[in-house]
Amino acid sequence: MSAPILVVAEGSDGRLGGPTLESISVARTLGGGPVIGFATGRAANELASDFGRFGVDRVLIVPNLGSDAVPVGVHANAVAFAADHVGADTVLFGGSIFGRDLAGHLAVRWNAAVATGVIDARRDGAIVEVRRPVFGGRATETRRLEGPHVVLAIRLHAFAAPSEDPGTPLVDVVVPPPVLPALLAPRRTSVEPSTAGAGPSLGDASIVVSGGRGVRAAENFQLVEELAASLGAAVGASRAVTDAGWRPSSFQVGQTGRSVSPQLYVAVGISGAIQHLVGMLSSRVIVAINSDPSAPIFRVADYGIVGDLFQILPALTAEIRRVRGS
Amino acid sequence: MEIVVCIKPVPEAETRLRVAPDGRTLDPEGVKFVLAGYDESALEQALLLKESLPGSKVHAVAYGPAPRTEEVLRAAVALGADLATWVEGPPGVGGDPVAAARALAGAIASVPHDLVLCGKQAGDDEAGIVPPALGELLAAPDFGSVVDLRWDTSASRLTFLRSTEAGGERWESPTPCVIGLQQAWNDPRTAKLPNILKSRKATITKRPMESAPPGPRSEPAKFELPPPRTGARMVEFKTPEEAAQKLVRILREDAKVFP
Repeated sequence: MSAPILVVAEGSDGRLGGPTLESISVARTLGGGPVIGFATGRAANELASDFGRFGVDRVLIVPNLGSDAVPVGVHANAVAFAADHVGADTVLFGGSIFGRDLAGHLAVRWNAAVATGVIDARRDGAIVEVRRPVFGGRATETRRLEGPHVVLAIRLHAFAAPSEDPGTPLVDVVVPPPVLPALLAPRRTSVEPSTAGAGPSLGDASIVVSGGRGVRAAENFQLVEELAASLGAAVGASRAVTDAGWRPSSFQVGQTGRSVSPQLYVAVGISGAIQHLVGMLSSRVIVAINSDPSAPIFRVADYGIVGDLFQILPALTAEIRRVRGS
Repeated sequence: MEIVVCIKPVPEAETRLRVAPDGRTLDPEGVKFVLAGYDESALEQALLLKESLPGSKVHAVAYGPAPRTEEVLRAAVALGADLATWVEGPPGVGGDPVAAARALAGAIASVPHDLVLCGKQAGDDEAGIVPPALGELLAAPDFGSVVDLRWDTSASRLTFLRSTEAGGERWESPTPCVIGLQQAWNDPRTAKLPNILKSRKATITKRPMESAPPGPRSEPAKFELPPPRTGARMVEFKTPEEAAQKLVRILREDAKVFP
């Protein structure tokens, strides 16, 4: 019988988050042994039950890592212990910041071949072959990972959530060995809500609306935000906007800002410099709204509107509100 | 403070990507390599910290083949790094990031290091593996996606904001500590000509390539470029309202991106 695949949970309010659901889908199709869940923290029991919703019949939990907020190395210690405990040969993380940071740790700690940002994975004997976008989505590479252990962090939104297959999993509490005291010295002093306000955050939104130089002034950025709100989208910006101080640098999408890969990316008044494109090219559908028909953004967009954003945006926001009935 | 900055040479953003003759990687022939974007930010952060903390040193460390690795180290020296160490790596592109982290960690472990700064990921492979792997290898706490990094002199601690999906988390940590930086600076410094000239003669400490220990492997198998984009399907309209209606219909019915 093949070695198990461990899926590491991340969630809030006791429910598995989208990244974890996507990794359950990957675990099911990867081929190999049974899928085993792993969860930590005070909500570990609830997360374990939620694994049961998707047919995962065994879950290991570490309810106490020493503190609610510990550096990722402490998590790596727990995951490595759990993986060895069940004799897993593969560990999967979701496409979150947490998942990716943990993947790099675990590769060293658990002596594994690792890949992040994975959009396709298949087992071929002792080798796992993965595909992943590189160069900001301008190319795709295939890598061959040779274990014995393999760690994958999948790319957010690259896989659908698994179908439900409700059951009650067997839950085991495991106790990992203590970590180096130095790893417990850092302290989280506060948690700050997203600066983007009520909308979803840039990193995991399924729709992103970004504004660029064409918005012309800080106060006009409200038009971009209203469109985003009508779509339930996160708000992004090009570097021209953050350089001008119209919005803080946390809004920046591109080479030195965030990389996003939503289902829909709407670029408003953005010309499409390569430094911006590499942060959003792997979006599934790209819409560009720009007054300049020769703007490079139209070469990478799927749909384009050449027009005055000060007229188009209010009309578009109104139309979306109308069809969504709000 | 002894600050180590890990830097990586990557193809400049405007590079026209081509597939290498063996089909496995980017063709590095004729490509201009520059400091990776986030690494440039990490270097800027290191230099700002150095300027605010008298007696500090910035040590740039890079792993990779000649000549590009030596070139980005000289660029870092021209920008203000005090020391530079080059760990020689195999030629070509598409290497295993864990191997890079092991090589860097070997060099860092042998020099003073209170703070190890990296860009959170490089713009070529976008793996983001080196910073957390370095934390594990150096047995130091590490934090990724960091913005707003400061040194609290009275408490002798780093304080910083981690940018997360949910917003941000403020942390404080003693040193040594590994930081993967996500900061975007509005106006990072550029090298002045006399410093560029001086950097050509600067001493680069070279560490020989070590043969990779047997163990897990990650190897490039195929490098593919997407078919050229055909350009946007343009929405024809007479009024803004018509444009809005047409676009919404396309997004719902053709692209199916929202219900």
